[in-house]
Amino acid sequence: MITSKMPSLRIDQNDLKCKNGCDYFGNPQWQGYCSKCHREQMQRQRKAEKASSFTSTLPRSDQRKSERGLKLSSHASFSKFEEKRLRQSETLKKTNLLKFNVFKKNITDDHEISTERRQPEFKIPTAVFEGMKADFRVRFPSFPPQIDRDARGFVHTFILDVIKWAAIMNVDELSERVQKQYQRFMKHMETSQHYASVDSDARELLIDFVEKHAMTYLHELPSIVFSPSGTDDERQDRAMSERIQQLSWVGEKHLECKLDRNNAECRRLLYKAISELLGMDAARWSGAKLARVRRCARHVLRLAAPAPASADDLLPALILAVLKANPPRLISNINYVTRFCNAQRLMTGEGGYYFTNLCCAVSFIQNMTAESLSMDKKEFDCYMAMPASIGGSAWAAALSLCGATREAEEQSALAAKLLEQTKEIQREAENMANNAATFEEQIAKKVQDVLAKTPLEIKPRRELPRLRREGVGSAPPPTTEPGPARTSEPPALLNEPSVVIDETEKLNILGFEVVEERSPSKSPQLDRLSDLKQSSSTELLTPSPMVLTPFDCRSLDEVLTPDEFPDNIPGLSDVNYDIDLSDFSADTSLAEDPPAPDRRRTFDPFAPQTSKDSYKLLESFDEFSIVDNARESDPYEVVHRPDPFGSVLDNDEGRASILDDSGSPTAACLLPSPIQPQNSAKPT
Amino acid sequence: MAREFDHLFKLLIIGDSGVGKSCLLLRFADNTFSGSYITTIGVDFKIRTLEVNGEKVKLQIWDTAGQERFRTITSTYYRGTHGVIVVYDVTNGESFANVKRWLHEIEQNCDVVNKVLVGNKNDCPSRKVVVTEDAQRFASQMNIPLFETSAKENINVEEMFLTITKMVLKSKLEMKERQNVTSNDTVNLKKGNHKIKKKCC
Repeated sequence: MITSKMPSLRIDQNDLKCKNGCDYFGNPQWQGYCSKCHREQMQRQRKAEKASSFTSTLPRSDQRKSERGLKLSSHASFSKFEEKRLRQSETLKKTNLLKFNVFKKNITDDHEISTERRQPEFKIPTAVFEGMKADFRVRFPSFPPQIDRDARGFVHTFILDVIKWAAIMNVDELSERVQKQYQRFMKHMETSQHYASVDSDARELLIDFVEKHAMTYLHELPSIVFSPSGTDDERQDRAMSERIQQLSWVGEKHLECKLDRNNAECRRLLYKAISELLGMDAARWSGAKLARVRRCARHVLRLAAPAPASADDLLPALILAVLKANPPRLISNINYVTRFCNAQRLMTGEGGYYFTNLCCAVSFIQNMTAESLSMDKKEFDCYMAMPASIGGSAWAAALSLCGATREAEEQSALAAKLLEQTKEIQREAENMANNAATFEEQIAKKVQDVLAKTPLEIKPRRELPRLRREGVGSAPPPTTEPGPARTSEPPALLNEPSVVIDETEKLNILGFEVVEERSPSKSPQLDRLSDLKQSSSTELLTPSPMVLTPFDCRSLDEVLTPDEFPDNIPGLSDVNYDIDLSDFSADTSLAEDPPAPDRRRTFDPFAPQTSKDSYKLLESFDEFSIVDNARESDPYEVVHRPDPFGSVLDNDEGRASILDDSGSPTAACLLPSPIQPQNSAKPT
Repeated sequence: MAREFDHLFKLLIIGDSGVGKSCLLLRFADNTFSGSYITTIGVDFKIRTLEVNGEKVKLQIWDTAGQERFRTITSTYYRGTHGVIVVYDVTNGESFANVKRWLHEIEQNCDVVNKVLVGNKNDCPSRKVVVTEDAQRFASQMNIPLFETSAKENINVEEMFLTITKMVLKSKLEMKERQNVTSNDTVNLKKGNHKIKKKCC
């Protein structure tokens, strides 16, 4: 067993030795040399290359053959670059071209190795798939995402497959492979469950979608699908464009096509057709190219309007359009479409039909003879012998001029449109601004209205308790108060009135606004609120000059008193509680506020009657005073209560709580606010 | 899955310039009596759906340029064509003489194609030059059905198109059957082997 295997191994070892004959092993990566010999070889090659680049292009091709192995990965692009350089050089003649082609063939032979290296490097940019995703959403919004993913996956494998095989296969094989890919996708759609709900029309759209995205990307790659390496598409392009230049003298008469060059409409259509033809090169996938061709053909067909144009008219006009347009890379474009467009679409459909016509036009131009133009052969030869630049320059100039004017027209039309749009936008913006302004005004008005209404309610709150008491006092006193008040303590009445009168007089003398202001303010209803404000201020003012210091003392004393009161006189203490509660509620709740002003109105008439009320007050306070005097000896309390406010207040609570009630509210009226809560807090 | 059509065929109309190819096409496609059609700006390319034997057939008819100068380049038109309508003008002897050349063209460009010979402008007996007998003799010699039509008077146009459609459909179905037969054969053989094996065991 072992012996039988050994010989084969030995033979291999010999083969593996360095080509140079040194005892080291060689490596296929180093072209069969060992590392040392390979390096030497490389250096020699580089030197030779440098030398050759100065001499001439001829020996270079031989050199590159050996060099090719070194620059495998970059070869395709390099060759492309070389090719361009060569083309640019004016010395290039047909002999060189031939060599060039030979060289190209060699490249294709080497590609088998080169792809092995290039393949792993290759990555499709994610932008391609993101674009696909977005496009899918736009085109097939109703399709499930599964199909989207499926299509993207297919495009991915499709692109990689084409790139992989492009280097190895020749163009025809590759185009066959691409067609098989399309068929594969069709079959996949038929068999896969995801596509069960997709009808045949949508399937066609889907395959278009796949083709579009795959081919759009592949089109961008150099010499893979568009004028691929190994073909002479580019040379044919140049030949074609030269030929068209030479045939520029061919006009509508030669082609017997019904075209009135003096007709502006006719000219316009022809220019449109030409611009579509020129745009074909810019389109990237065959579908878009076909669309361009279709539009071009439609413009051409319209040339024969109003009579319905037949193919007899279409073809000559199309030939003329091609001749006048001289589209760039025409042959490459046609080949690209025929090779890599979905064959089904190309064979059927309108785009296919017009594309076929275009192919016919191109082949006609290529094979044009004197016979095909039905003219004398000598004349034809004469025309053809002319330098390309001279013949038909008038047409070209007119065309370019008209093209320019047409473009200018289009641009101006566009500009006009844009202007209109901007105007409209401006108008809308103005409207918007107006709306916004009016809206703002409205809102401001509303806010002002609301503000005008609301603040009035907020401010009175503080005073309402006082007012209300006043108001409340005005209404009930006649009914309830007199009864209990008088019954309980009549004797005090007699003493007090004198004091009260004195005090009111004092107020007047001092010139305080309290009394004066209130009397007029109370009569007009509208001014109530402002009056209230004033009153509040005056109230704040009043205590200080009049009775502030003593009053404060009294209040402090009072704070103490409620506790004491109940002890001494139970009846009074009860009364106090009630009063406090009412105060509190009046301060906080709004519900009680509104009625207050009304009572105030009612209060107006009472204003002058203060004297009477005060008498009542005096009656009630007499008790207080007696009590107070007895205990605390505060004359001030008595002095305060007889105030006009106090009189009213007394009346309010007079019904239930009698005199004691009246006593505390008066304090509330005259005392600065902080004291009130204290009162309320303690009894509760 | 409601399909718009069951079959899609591409038909080609060829013939000399001015024999009325476009008129035939226009007459056929614009006859809205049955089936749908799509009008394009020109009459060069038309689509119409017919119903033949209960099957929806979508016809895509390509007009071609008939000028002599374009004859050599029209080969691209023939790609993927199912049927060809060769048209001549009964009032123009030359157009009939050229039919031979057209048929030769077809033979050169496609392998198996259904053909129909059509003598158009058959509406004015006084101007008729090509006698029906001559045309019929030639047609039977070439094994092609002959129709004498008038696009102007709408004579025989529908029938002619229907005939070519039927021919194309028939040949397509035959092709399918043949494929099925061959596949059936292989299946049968396998089955036979299977049986033999069983017997052996």
